[in-house]
Amino acid sequence: MRVALPAEIRPVLDNGIPAVMVTCSGNGVPNTTILSQVYYVDETHVALSFQFFSKTIRNVRENPRAYVFVTDVAGQVAWILQLEFQHSETEGPIFDAMDMQIEAIASATGMSGIFKLRAADIYRVLLVERLPYSESS
Amino acid sequence: MHKLGSLSIPTTDMIPEKFVRFLEQRANVAFAGTRDHEHVPHGHRVCGWRVDADQRTLTALIPEPFTPHLVESLEDNGQFALTVEQFPSHETYQFKGRYLRHRPVQHDDVEVVNRVRERFVKSIRPIFTDVPEPALKAFTPGPSLAVEFEVLEIYLQTPGPGAGARVIPSAET
Repeated sequence: MRVALPAEIRPVLDNGIPAVMVTCSGNGVPNTTILSQVYYVDETHVALSFQFFSKTIRNVRENPRAYVFVTDVAGQVAWILQLEFQHSETEGPIFDAMDMQIEAIASATGMSGIFKLRAADIYRVLLVERLPYSESS
Repeated sequence: MHKLGSLSIPTTDMIPEKFVRFLEQRANVAFAGTRDHEHVPHGHRVCGWRVDADQRTLTALIPEPFTPHLVESLEDNGQFALTVEQFPSHETYQFKGRYLRHRPVQHDDVEVVNRVRERFVKSIRPIFTDVPEPALKAFTPGPSLAVEFEVLEIYLQTPGPGAGARVIPSAET
């Protein structure tokens, strides 16, 4: 079944509020981390930034499934994405666009020189769920 | 002593005082991770947390919309990872451990969530100056379920090159 990201999620991905990602190692240990960027690639794919050699990076290479939570505080809506890691890109238009966004985020948060994009990890969207705050209060 | 792989680690002060102060006085956002029997990861908003007097047990308070897959996964394998952040500084720690039990929320759990909500609104108000206060308060929903787990490891998760480093037990332990 083809799952498509709705247009209304795009501004949420760009709102600058950190996302949350949950992965699981090959031996079954979950890991929960903060993400600085979820990049819209097309209706069925997103890219996540690979900045450091982290547990998350190792996990998705052992077990490709991932869970991502993004939120829109002003719009009072949260989104849940179930993803599957596909491949990693170290050059090209997606990498370049993410690199520029990372630098902008780093500058805005006083982390210039700390955030450096190593790769753009491309994920296929398996499921997308919209969750208004009113349903979670 | 507690066995962690080939390591034997002391059972006292698994959550040192500085982490207790972080959790109870500064942290204002949290999220938990579990995985099911097929190793598919699942996420769960956490609207409040409390440290047990033994300083080994943490209780995560979960809103109802984020309970799917939670108890089934915990009863299947017991794995629980709780990441707690102070927004907007992004000081973040991840507490990994083993599920002990779950229970309905109590009145004092709701008070814990109210304090977290107040800290969050106070921290985010300077950033979201044009968002009405009820909208900011709605970010921290009410709790539906309490999950108690034994903390076995604490990781630094603040974004940066040190993210992912285990701080408890330390590398020297």
